[in-house]
Formats: sequence, structure tokens, C-alpha cells
Amino acid sequence: MEKSLFFTKPTNYSYFLEKKNVQYHHFHGHHHIHLINMQNPNQQPHHENSSSRSQSPEYGEPVSDAKWAPRLLRECATAIYNKDSRKIHHLLWMLNELASPYGDCNQKLAFYFLQALFCKATDTGLRCYKTLTSASEKSKSFDSSRKLILKFQEVSPWTTFGHVASNGALLEALDGENKLHIIDISDTFCTQWPTLLEALATRNDETPHLKLTVVVTESILVKSVMKEVAQRMGKFARLMGVPFEFNVISELNHLKELTKESLNIQEEEALAVNCIGALRKVEIEERGAVIRMLQSLNPKVVTIVEHEADFSSTRNDFVKSFEECLRFYTLYFEMLDESFPTTSNERLVIERESSKCIVKVLACDNEISDQGDSERRERGNQWSERLRECFTPSPLNDDAVDDVKALLKRYKAGWSLVQQQVDQESPGIYLTWREEQVVWASSWKPQEKSMEGAT
Amino acid sequence: MTEEVISNGFTHNSIEGSNPPPLKKKRNLPGNPDPEAEVIALSPKTLMATNRFLCEICGKGFQRDQNLQLHRRGHNLPWKLKQRTSKEVRKRVYVCPEKTCVHHHPSRALGDLTGIKKHYCRKHGEKKWKCEKCSKRYAVQSDWKAHSKTCGTREYRCDCGTIFSRRDSFVTHRAFCDALAEETARVTAASNMHNSLATGNNINYHFIGAPLGPNMAQHFSSLFKPLPNNNNNNENSDPMRRDYQLSLWNMGVGQEQEQIGININNFREIHHINPIHHTSPSAAAAAAAATTVYDTTTLIPSRSNVPPVSYNNNNHVNWDQLVGTKISSVNNAEQLSTVTSPNISVPSLFSTQHQLPPSSTATMSATALLQKAAQIGATTTTPTTTDPSIFLGNFGMMNNCNDKNNNQLQEGDNNKFCGFYVSTGATNNSISTSHGSDVDQSSSVNDFSATIHPIQMYPPSKRRHIQIEDNVKGVGVGVGGGGQTRDFLGVGVQSICHPPSINGWI
Repeated sequence: MEKSLFFTKPTNYSYFLEKKNVQYHHFHGHHHIHLINMQNPNQQPHHENSSSRSQSPEYGEPVSDAKWAPRLLRECATAIYNKDSRKIHHLLWMLNELASPYGDCNQKLAFYFLQALFCKATDTGLRCYKTLTSASEKSKSFDSSRKLILKFQEVSPWTTFGHVASNGALLEALDGENKLHIIDISDTFCTQWPTLLEALATRNDETPHLKLTVVVTESILVKSVMKEVAQRMGKFARLMGVPFEFNVISELNHLKELTKESLNIQEEEALAVNCIGALRKVEIEERGAVIRMLQSLNPKVVTIVEHEADFSSTRNDFVKSFEECLRFYTLYFEMLDESFPTTSNERLVIERESSKCIVKVLACDNEISDQGDSERRERGNQWSERLRECFTPSPLNDDAVDDVKALLKRYKAGWSLVQQQVDQESPGIYLTWREEQVVWASSWKPQEKSMEGAT
Repeated sequence: MTEEVISNGFTHNSIEGSNPPPLKKKRNLPGNPDPEAEVIALSPKTLMATNRFLCEICGKGFQRDQNLQLHRRGHNLPWKLKQRTSKEVRKRVYVCPEKTCVHHHPSRALGDLTGIKKHYCRKHGEKKWKCEKCSKRYAVQSDWKAHSKTCGTREYRCDCGTIFSRRDSFVTHRAFCDALAEETARVTAASNMHNSLATGNNINYHFIGAPLGPNMAQHFSSLFKPLPNNNNNNENSDPMRRDYQLSLWNMGVGQEQEQIGININNFREIHHINPIHHTSPSAAAAAAAATTVYDTTTLIPSRSNVPPVSYNNNNHVNWDQLVGTKISSVNNAEQLSTVTSPNISVPSLFSTQHQLPPSSTATMSATALLQKAAQIGATTTTPTTTDPSIFLGNFGMMNNCNDKNNNQLQEGDNNKFCGFYVSTGATNNSISTSHGSDVDQSSSVNDFSATIHPIQMYPPSKRRHIQIEDNVKGVGVGVGGGGQTRDFLGVGVQSICHPPSINGWI
């Protein structure tokens, strides 16, 4: 989508400013003062600036810069942090001119980050987030979600990496057991399980019975989608010849509300917990408690898959967390851009989903919601530190690693795997894209209890 | 290398020549040897050994002495090819040294040396050979080679017609594919479905919402099977109605008897309640547990004496019988029997219209549409209503739409697009009231609801609108509209293409 650039700015801008002036009076709080300051100083210089960009050297020549978006965004974030109204104003305007959700990566990043920065500047993050959330819910259905995730998995190993790694760990830990109970807390709509069911069905020995309990804490939408998913899973399991039972726990708003009792764990079952993108949804302060809760279930194995990014340790430093957010989502968007065909609708939807996260992380700092939608990712080593309190890392066996490698071969070039040693900080394996670690997958076993007897 | 030759006392009478024998050798079934054959038990080492015969000059190994001799010719060494002895040769059969193996016993010996070697390697040996593409492992090199040739070249075809080159994506697709429904229908139709629950109560309760595909006619007859064997149509007498494994509503409620009033309208699939249909262990508990919770689409063909039941909306009978049942994750026969308390209010939503999957016949298209409409959460009102909220629902838009001023698409249905185009005519007022609402509205613009679905559902006249809308797509894209678009900023910032309409931006 072509967009003409700055040169039309002049006419816009005065009109724009006029309009803006009108609105200032109606704002509340500090915004009022904040923004009004922008009026006068802006009018003069910007009129002068209107004709060419070169008069504002501090902003450079964004157009000719291949990576203009990160630069501008960074400057804007800094300006917000410094409360430099004039600069904020100008940058937001510029970004708005250039940004587009339909353009190239730069434009997309500019668009979505602009939204978040704007919310941050105007302190409207939570509202925006809620709006985005409900908007996305309304447009989704089982069919669209299914189509979306399957397409994503077809073009990119972003999610399938975690699936294959986790399934490998699960199969190893549950080998020989006859009654399996897997507690699934993930955001991939059960697309992990068909291949596991197939593996179970083709096991040498007798096919075990699998009970799958899916814990859903997200929106109502996801809960209703799960109904369809459940049907499909059941049918498929029958087709595979695997004795199967499927439960959904959906009354929870937050993972911390999960209790052992509600999971209906039977004595003779071999229990496994599978968390894909689940831990990051828990508020930072609650993460320890949730991990302890998982420990209390006494599973044979816990598989954790998370995005490799740190939105947690820097949460009190806006610029740093902005940088990290930008870094991660730049990778993500570029990956999406390269993986999907150019005119993909699915990619658009995925990008939009990301925008929710971006707004949440950057502009909803001080809001504590009960919805279990934190989005504050942590890196593998950070999760490992938390998990070590209750679990010990269990390295993936060679077969599982080989499976992952074989999986990556089936996709476009650029993907690779990095394995960590158990004694290192972050055990598990990393998916890398263009040499950057993007997804972390690991498997954990409960700690040996030295003092008390094994429960 | 030790070889034990076990003579089993039988004599062997067949005569074989080294050249193509006049008679084709009679082949016994593998593992069912000629009782008169000589049984040989080789040691594992022998079996696994390859290239036992070594050339003394170059050290090259050969599996057979004959091959070594031929090789020695090349070194100008004296060589001797042993001729096949003309005397009677006893047929040899080989047993597997592994005690737990079925071929360990002489009665199941294998007749071929190469065969026993391969068998031993495959079953009891280490799998040293691994396929690069799919990481499948093999113990025998020839197996591995054979696999490598075909690995990745095979194409997997789903019933829905899609072709996959990768097995994992094929499997995952298949599990979620709509076509799967038909497959299981056929599969279960073919199989003998009996209830193997411990209580022996053969309830074959098949409850079918709607038939699928082309076989509708015959399915109808088996639609609502009455309680089968015991001919007991008494609604509440059957304690085994755990076929509430209608557990559609098995919303993970372990113990609790949860009232689940689920709108079945949303279920397109047929709910089949047949507990066992797989290779489950005989234990009742396991069997019970093995029931697929969300069971759909199965046609119960096996009974021919099922009276045809007219399938209509009013046929809630079977449902009611089920309604009383507890839907829980039962995996215990004991639990099963206690499951009778009726606290699941399953609304009788098994109205046909909503059951039919979006498949073939023309008669279904209307219902499929309705059903999809239900799915999307919109009411099934006709698109001609002017209530914007309906379309907003359909298009996934926000309900707060001040479309009054929308002058984008005046084709009478422009209400539909109000989510996308929030008129800035109202801007000034709305902006002034609260910034938040701007964000709300503008964010609604963010919802592109680019899903193909709604588009497919609507008749072409609507489609036209949608096409236009697609081109415009909301935020910041001032295409084709007037300058009335508003972007996510909550302000009518036009894209640069249409300069004059940047309305108050903060």
C-alpha cells in the first residue's frame, strides 16, 4: 500500500493543529497541561518545517532510512519517558503518517507500537486493550481460529517447535504407563495432541488410555472454541484407536485459581503438565505460587514452552522494556513476514493479536487485572530460576531432539535449534531464527524430596 | 562363533540342485517351518555379525564365503568355490536366541538365515540407522535405505481433498478437519459397536443430531435409537446413562455436578454417545474411561430393526433421557453407576437446522448458513434489518457505532460498516466527551474482522458491500471513502492520501 509522505503534511497539519486545539480543553488531568504546552511551540516551527524534513535535524530523514521505524519509535519512547511534549507530539504525528498495518515490516511495527505509545502517552492503555480484546473476540470463531493456527503451523515452526519438544518429553516420561493424564494449559487450541495421539497409537506395546484436561483461562471466545475442539479431539482419538477422555476446565479467570481437586486426578494415573505460553499469563507476583501449585499436583513431568523475551525484569524502566518489546516483536514480525505469503490474512490477524500484547506490556503497567492475561514474558533462564524451586530440569532425550531437528528441516531456512546443558542456567532447547533465540522449550521433573518421603 | 546344531531327529528328504531347481521350492509360511527341517540356533553374536569372512590381503569383509572366494580371485589367490553338495541337504531353519521372542521356539523357527538375522536385528537389536528427514530409526540398514528412498516423497491426502507432504501437518489437519466427521461415521458404522461396560448393560445409545453427507437418507432411520437391548424406553430407569458422555459438556468438571446450559445450537456436530469404540482394555473402568467425551457423528447402522424415526425438531425424547445424566469425567465403573442425578440442563437444541455441518447438499446450505450465523454469535435475523448491532456482531465489530454520519457506503446497508468507518462528523462531540470513547470506537476500527467466514455466508448482494469494505479496511486507509475514517488513535487522522481530514489527533 503506497502512502505518500511528508510533503502533504503542511495542509494537514494546520488543520490538524486547529482541531487539536479545540480538544485540549476537554481533557482531564495532567494531560491537559501536558498537551497544551504543545500548542504554541508547535505552531511556529512546524509550519516552517512543513516543507521539508531537513529543518528538523533531530529527527533525521526517516524515509530514506531502511530501519526508520525502530529509530523513530525509540525516539518517541524516550520522549515519552522524558515527558518531552513537543517531541512526543511530533514523533507520534510522524509515525502516524508513516505507519500502516498493511505495509512492510517497518510500517507495521510503526503502526502497532505507535498505538501502544500513544496509549502510554495518554494513559489510555487499559481501555485500548479492552477494546482490542473484545474486538478480536467478536471476530473469531472455531473455524477462523482453526484456520489461523493451522496455517501458522504450516508456514512456521514457531508453535510446532514447542509441541514436538514437549511431546517428546511427555512420551519419554510416560513411557510404559497405561493410564495417562495430561493437563494442558496452552494457547494453541490442542493442535499439539493429534501427533501425540498418533505416537501413542503406534507404540509397540499396548495403547495407553489418555485423559486430557485442558485448562482455559482466557476469554469466553476461547472457551466456546474449545467445545468444538473437544469434539474433534474425541473423534480423532477414536479414529486412532486411542482410549481417550477429554475435559475442559474453563471457569477460571486466572491460573492461580486452579486447584488440584478440580482436575480430578486419579491415583493410578501418570500425570503430566504441559504449559505452552501459560506461565507468562500469570502476574509476576503470582508466578511462584502457581509453580508451587503445579508441584503439588505431583506430576511425572512438566513441560514448559515460552517465548524468549524479557518483559518482566525491566517493567519499571519504560525505555528498557520498550527496547526489549521492540526487539522481540521486530523479530516476530519479520519472521511472520518471511514465513507467510505476502497477502496472508492469517498473518494480519496474528499481528493484530500481537498488538494487544504490545499495548498491554507498554501501556498497562499499573493495572492489575484479574483476568490472567499478563503477557510479561520472561526468558528461559528466568523461568528456570523460578522452576528450580520446585523442579529439576530433565533434558530432552536424543530422539526428541532429533525429532525437533527433523521438524525444522521441513520449514524454510533460517530456523535452528540450540541445546543447553542441564547444569547451565537455562536447561532446555531454544528455537532460533536467524541466530536469535526466540522460543524456549524445557522439561522438568519434580525434585527428589530428601527429608520427607516421596508423596 | 559357536553354532549349535540341534538335530531334531527327523530326516529330510527333499533334494535340491544348485542350479534353478526343476521344482519351485515350497515355501512355508514364515515362522511355520517344515517339521522335518534341521533346527539351528545361532548365537546373537553370529546373527548380528556381518562380514565374517575376511580377505587376508586387504581385510575386506564379506557376508558369505562364496563372495570372499570370488574376491580372492582378484588377488590372484587360490580360490575355491564350494559347489552345492549333491547329497541330500537338510533344510535348515533357525530360531531366535531371544527367549522372550515368539520365534525362539523351534515350531516357529524362520527358514532363512538372512531372515533370522534381520529379524533379530530389527526386534532385538539396537536401532543404529536413523532417517534424517523424519528421525525414524532402523536396526537393519536395508530397511533404513528403503525408507529413505520414500521418506518425504509420500503424499498424504485428507478426505477433504487437501494434500500434504508432511505427515505431522497432515495428522494435525486431519484431527481438526470437518471431513473427519464423515470418516468416523463410516468407521463406526462398519464396526460392531457394543457396550463393553462392566455392568453388562448394553446400552447402545446413539444419539445423532443430523446425518452427514450423502448418506442422509439411510441415516435417518437410525437416528434415534431407542434404548436398545433391553427394549427399555423408560426414561429414567437406566442407570447406565452415562452416555452423557455427551460429555460435550464435560467441561472439566470433575466431581461437580455442574449445571451446564450450553447452547447446543453452536454444535454442528452430531453427538454420538457410544462409549466404546476402540481397542481398549477389557476392564470396564478403562473402557468407561475410554469413552470419547465429545463424540459426534456416528451412525448406527448395525441394527436393522431400528424403527425409522422421523427426524424433526420435536424429537427431544432421547435428549430428555440423557438430560438427567451427569456429565463428568468418569473413569470408573463405580462412578458411572452413580451418575444419575439430573442436573444438566441440556436444552433441547438439537434442532436440525443447527446440526448440519456445512457440507454438500443444497438443502443444507440454508441451514448451514444459519448455523454459521449462530456460531458467529449473531442472531439469525436477515441482513436487511437496519439494526447495526447485528451486523456489528456478524462482522465482529464493536457495537458502539455512530454510523449516523457515515457517508461512506450509502447502499442502504452501510450500517454494516459502521464499525469500520466511524464518522468523524460526530467526532467533535464525541472526542470532547471522553477520550476513552474515541479509543473505543477507533479501536473498533481495528477489528478488521478479516475472517473470510462472514463473507462466505452472505448472499452476493451483501458480498458486494463487503468487497468494497475490504478495500477500505478501516484504519488510516483513506481509500475510497470520504475523509471520514477514523483510526485507532481515536482521531480522524486520514492517511496521507487524503490530507485534509486529520481531525484532532490527541
